[in-house]
Amino acid sequence: MVRSALATKRRIGQGPKPFAGYIPAATVVFASFLTALPVISTSGWYPDFGFLALISWRLLRSDPWPAWWAAPLGLVNDLFTGFPVGFSVTLWSATMLALDLVDRRTMWRDYWIEWGLAAVLLAANEWLQWRVAALSGARVPFLAVVPALVIGLCIFPISAWVVSRIDRWRLGR
Amino acid sequence: MATARPGWSRRAQYGLFFSFLALIAGLLFGLILLALSLLAPAKFQQIRGAALDLTAPAASSLRGVTTTVEGLGSGASDYWDATSQNGELKRERTAMLRRMVEAKAIFQENQQLKALLHLREHEPATVAIGRVVGSSFNSPRRFAILSAGTRDGVQVGMPVRSADGLVGRIIDAGALGSRVLLVSDRANIVPARLLRGGMPVISQGRGDGTIDVRPLEVGRNPFRRGDIIITSGTGGLYPPLVPIARVVKLDDDGAVAVPLADPANISFATVEPPYEPAAIDSQASPDQDVP
Repeated sequence: MVRSALATKRRIGQGPKPFAGYIPAATVVFASFLTALPVISTSGWYPDFGFLALISWRLLRSDPWPAWWAAPLGLVNDLFTGFPVGFSVTLWSATMLALDLVDRRTMWRDYWIEWGLAAVLLAANEWLQWRVAALSGARVPFLAVVPALVIGLCIFPISAWVVSRIDRWRLGR
Repeated sequence: MATARPGWSRRAQYGLFFSFLALIAGLLFGLILLALSLLAPAKFQQIRGAALDLTAPAASSLRGVTTTVEGLGSGASDYWDATSQNGELKRERTAMLRRMVEAKAIFQENQQLKALLHLREHEPATVAIGRVVGSSFNSPRRFAILSAGTRDGVQVGMPVRSADGLVGRIIDAGALGSRVLLVSDRANIVPARLLRGGMPVISQGRGDGTIDVRPLEVGRNPFRRGDIIITSGTGGLYPPLVPIARVVKLDDDGAVAVPLADPANISFATVEPPYEPAAIDSQASPDQDVP
């Protein structure tokens, strides 16, 4: 009686969900699809939801999906958001590589390091978007994309929290 | 790949190594795709159009919900100051009536003069009518998603306008939806002129919802606050005499203007055939500067 009360709560039927291995990638595709939201903005200050979901997953776990899946996921993001085809393919693959290198170098991880890494990655994303837009004939001052970066940085904790909840749900914890 | 070696399993080691090689391959593949889409934007039109067919219907079904919610808000605020608004509208109406009679007289005179000149008249043809259902809200480019596609006859390169003014031109067309390069995009350059005086100017988007207008001839800044910019029809793509923007701020050699057709507020946009297709064909490809 006493022993059973002390035992950890372990309910029957709780375990990883079916297709748990595909849920992270599916959430990234869903986040890319958020671009279909009927938001008509004339400033472009909304974050790149697909990229936010990607780095939230990758910073939470080292193995949300095989690393090379970043390329097809990026292609999906390019097609949904209307970025030049190949932009997210390149950036997302490079992000996976960079974070693998960072994983080897960092001794420990805490929330501030993750936020800092996210800041660097989001800034790289905005800067590359600005650069590619300039190459394709739309040279806007860099100050115009800074608000988008700040908003993305403020939204990253929310995205990281949502992703951690989804991770616990898919693993049945 | 948290650690360099996953353990002693050969299979796991090879798995990681090949995944790493595939990632490098993906990176190179992405670079090639990016270079292609920057150098030859027309390459990916088919696949981009197919992706639009996935997003445009979802956006257009959700758009109905947001318009209702926005309508509730603005409807309630309209009741708030109904009396003062009513008086203002009555004053405006009488002023408008007077101007309309003048305009009718001018129109008749214009018809007679044109008949004298035997000017070839373009009747405005409408290819399709669609709603603006989405936008590129996460990029420095200014695109909008229109709920009309090749099934309705929309083709890449066609100009888009609304009752208020010029919206932009089509750059991607799927079967059910299309993507519009708005006049406020940096890469969209529209030959235009000042309504007051007819001085030729160039309108170029600023990427933040406003437009830069510059006079073609260097000299005194011709703009005044409140000036209306209209298309000139030069280049053959956009029809002439379509209002584009209103000047709100002057700067040293030009002015900043706000588009008259706010993509967030226009309910319908019409797609028209290019004004002078022959003139466009003789130039370089018109959508050279889009991704």
